[in-house]
Amino acid sequence: MSITRTALEEVEKRFNRLIGTSATNLCTHCGWCVESCHVYLSTLNPELSPVAKTERVRRVLKRSHDWLSKLVPFWTGAADLTESELDKWVELAYKYCTLCERCVINCPMAVETPQIMGAIRGTLTSIKKSPEILDQLTGAEIAREDGLDMMREIFREHIVDLEKEVQEKLNNPSAKIPIEEEAEILYVPLSGVHTIIPPAVIFNYVGASWTLSMFESSNYAMFLGDIPRAKQIVNRILKEAERLNVKEIVLSECGHAYAAFRWEAPKWFGEPLKFKVSSILEVMDDYLETGVLTFDSSQNGEAITYHDPCNIGRKGGIFEEPRRIINVISSNYREMYPSREQNFCCGGGGGLVANTDWQDYRIETGKVKADQIRETRAKKVLTSCDNCLHQIQEISEYYDLNVEVSNVSQWAISALTIT
Amino acid sequence: MDKDMSIAKTLNLEGLLCPIPVVKLSNAVKGIGVGEVIEATATDPGVMMDIPAWCKSTGNDLISLDKEDGIFRFVVCRVN
Ligand code: SF4
Ligand code: SF4
Repeated sequence: MSITRTALEEVEKRFNRLIGTSATNLCTHCGWCVESCHVYLSTLNPELSPVAKTERVRRVLKRSHDWLSKLVPFWTGAADLTESELDKWVELAYKYCTLCERCVINCPMAVETPQIMGAIRGTLTSIKKSPEILDQLTGAEIAREDGLDMMREIFREHIVDLEKEVQEKLNNPSAKIPIEEEAEILYVPLSGVHTIIPPAVIFNYVGASWTLSMFESSNYAMFLGDIPRAKQIVNRILKEAERLNVKEIVLSECGHAYAAFRWEAPKWFGEPLKFKVSSILEVMDDYLETGVLTFDSSQNGEAITYHDPCNIGRKGGIFEEPRRIINVISSNYREMYPSREQNFCCGGGGGLVANTDWQDYRIETGKVKADQIRETRAKKVLTSCDNCLHQIQEISEYYDLNVEVSNVSQWAISALTIT
Repeated sequence: MDKDMSIAKTLNLEGLLCPIPVVKLSNAVKGIGVGEVIEATATDPGVMMDIPAWCKSTGNDLISLDKEDGIFRFVVCRVN
């Protein structure tokens, strides 16, 4: 079978009623979405506006689904799928759309551009045309489970050093990073140490019953639209949670991990998860409210702002928790404009940060975020996602913003009141 | 590591947070020939997990991974 035929069949499999309707019928070409997209605003290229991006997919779908397009394609602008168009779809879905959903909330018809692009990503993965690095990172995540015995040994060695740092930070030689122990909370970090030490400090500080996961919360298969492997990556953590009898899974500050566990996994598995799932941000906010977490705010007059990650904020609805934490510590918080659900993507979402082939373009589309940050005149930018963290660090350097960037928990632990 | 094994490329990944060291290693490996070797240094302890996992999943050989004075040094041979 030709690759275009296979691709079309794969597209059809992924186009359920919501995406199919969005892709073929809903758009009125009103243009409201154009200026909602950071890709368009940074490049001013109309071909990169949400409506133009979906139109490329729409004209192919129309060819097989719209009766007029079947008869007189030249009349409706419908087109057959060609191999060169498939190559363009790789850039369309992986480079020119970060799946940030800002266009959806600004579209009067709620056209699901990111869902359409997500379906195209899945199609490209099934015909082996997706970016290799995302496939490799997915493979590496899965290899961590396959070689668990070897990994366990390396992991324990790794944790011994980190535990010492936690003890020093808290001035408490009995502070621990428990691994594979029964507890109430299973904390799932990323592999970077900046996502292990701050939560470990916080859990020890409040005396929580917790244990550290052997795995990482990130899920690169999700960026590939590769649901079988995305499920496999989530499932190993669910099995670990079951084995350790935990009540709650707490995730590191990672946007797509939050999306994977909070709303994607229940859809993939066809049932709600057996565990409460929270971000470390929500947990910190709860600890603050109950008074077990206390901060010294006397040293924090430095101008500070917060970038809402698209998955945590616009899609996940976590807006107030980080702001409550920051405002307890800082006396000089400056809101970005726009923010919360209307916040702009940093330009590195959807797995783009991992793709060095498109680095220059990624920095170019970070211009909207760079302008937003500059306007706040903040010296420090906090966020709650590693993708955003990497991207904002890079745009800070490129656009001379001269800001320090960190995740909320990483920053907050430096203000803990330690007696 | 075999003393006769010469390093085709060195890579400084110090200061980079995971998974960026893996991303840069993956790119660098593409730039050496099959059977050639790359030596890299990094500071994020996450490489202790990520590099062996990446080698396992891509089929490349992890020849060594050591830590000294807070610096992780690893040597990878391109297999395919
Ligand atoms: S705002 Fe919605 S309906 Fe209007 S052009 Fe954009 S996608 Fe189409
Ligand atoms: S999801 Fe975000 S990046 Fe993609 S088209 Fe919409 S606004 Fe642009």
